[in-house]
Amino acid sequence: MKRVVSVSLGSSKRDHRVNVELLGEQFEISRVGTDGDLDKAIQTIRELDGKVDAIGLGGIDVYLYAGKTRYAVRDGLKLMAAARKTPVVDGSGLKNTLERQTVYYLRENTGLLPPGIAVLMVSAVDRFGMAEALLDIGCDVTFGDLIFAAGIPYAIKSLAELEEIANKILPDMIKLPFHMLYPTGKKQEVQDEEKIKKYGHYYKEARVIAGDYHLVRRYMPALAGQTIITNTTTAEDVNFLKEKGAGWLVTTTPEFAGRSFGTNVIEGVLVAILQKPWEEIQPEEYLDLLRRLDFRPRIIPLR
Amino acid sequence: MASHLEIKESLQAFWQNYNQNERLKIMNKDWNRVILVRANDITSEHTLVLTDGSLAVYEGAWKNPDLTVIADSETLADLFYGDITPTEPYLNGTLQVVGSEDDIVRLDFISLMIWGE
Repeated sequence: MKRVVSVSLGSSKRDHRVNVELLGEQFEISRVGTDGDLDKAIQTIRELDGKVDAIGLGGIDVYLYAGKTRYAVRDGLKLMAAARKTPVVDGSGLKNTLERQTVYYLRENTGLLPPGIAVLMVSAVDRFGMAEALLDIGCDVTFGDLIFAAGIPYAIKSLAELEEIANKILPDMIKLPFHMLYPTGKKQEVQDEEKIKKYGHYYKEARVIAGDYHLVRRYMPALAGQTIITNTTTAEDVNFLKEKGAGWLVTTTPEFAGRSFGTNVIEGVLVAILQKPWEEIQPEEYLDLLRRLDFRPRIIPLR
Repeated sequence: MASHLEIKESLQAFWQNYNQNERLKIMNKDWNRVILVRANDITSEHTLVLTDGSLAVYEGAWKNPDLTVIADSETLADLFYGDITPTEPYLNGTLQVVGSEDDIVRLDFISLMIWGE
C-alpha cells in the first residue's frame, strides 16, 4: 500500500483518512491539519519523511505564478525543506494541467461557461493555468487578487495587468509570513463579515466564482445561483454553498469518500505512482496519468 | 545616520511618485489613514495623510495615527526613496509598524507599487 499524507496549515477539524484503489494499487490518503501553526507543520513533515510515499502541502501555496515567472513563498520553502527523502508537493504542478483542462471540459460538455460569462477569480496567481484558460475561452474575468489578499478594491481585468502588478509586489510579498496573505488555521472556519459587506458585490456581479475554496468561502455573500469552481470541499462545505444560494459546484479534483481533495493530495498520488522526482515530471506525464485514471471534474447541482 | 531633512526629502519623493500614479490613487480611494513616521535615533517625525486616494505629507506628529512606522533615520530615508523595500527590515525588526495587520500589508503594497521592480 502507498501512503500519501497532506500536511495542512488549515484547520484540524477537516482531518480525514480514506483508502482508495487507483490503477490497481491501494492508497491510503490522509490529511493532518496544524491550525495555522507553521512550526508544527514542519515537525509533522520531519516525522513523516521517509515513512510515506508522498507529502502534499495544504493550506499554503509554495509557488505563485505571474505569466512565466514563478515566485516561491518563503514559508512554503521552509515546509518543503523539512523533508529530505519523501517528495513534497504543493499541487501547483498539477493545477497548471488539471485546472486548465477543467475549464475546457466545462466549455465542451456543459453550459456552465458560455462565451462572455462574468467570472470572478478570487485569486489567480495561485491558479494561473485556470486564469489563462478562462480568458482563452472568452469569459469576462475579474481577478480578485488585490481585493481579497490585500483588501484593495481594485478589480484586475487582464492577465497583462495581473502580471505587471504581480511582478512588482510578489518578489517582496512572498517573504511575508503566509498568514498575512491568506487565511490559515481558525480563520478558515469563519467568514470575514466586514469584507463581505465591502466586497460581496464582486460575487453578486459574477455568474461563476472560481479559485481557492478557503478564499471563496471567507468572503462569500448570499448568492443567486452562481456556479462555484474550486476543490477541497467536504460534505459540510456543500451544505454551506447550498445555504448561500450557489447553483452548481464544480470541483477540479475527483471525489473520494464524499469529499474532493486538494490538488496537493492528488499531485502527491501522481508522484507516488510515477515514482520519480517531481521536478522531473512533465505536464504531459500528469495529463497521461489523469487520462488513465479517468479523472474528471465533479459537477454537483446545488438547487 | 540620515538627517531630518533627508527623511523629509525622501517623503517628498514618495509623495511625488504616489500622486503621479493615478491607478494607485484609485486603489486607495477607500483607505483614509493617518500614518506617523518616526525616527528612533534622531528627533524626526512626519505624518502621512491619505484621504480619498490622495496623499499629503506634514512635518510633526498628528494625534491618534492609524499606523506608526518606526525605524532608524537611515532606514526611513532608504525606504521612502525606494532604495530598500519594507519587507526585509520589517521582518528583521529594523522597521516597526504599529497598526492592524491588514493596514501593514496595504502600506507594504503601496510602497511596492511605487518602487517595485
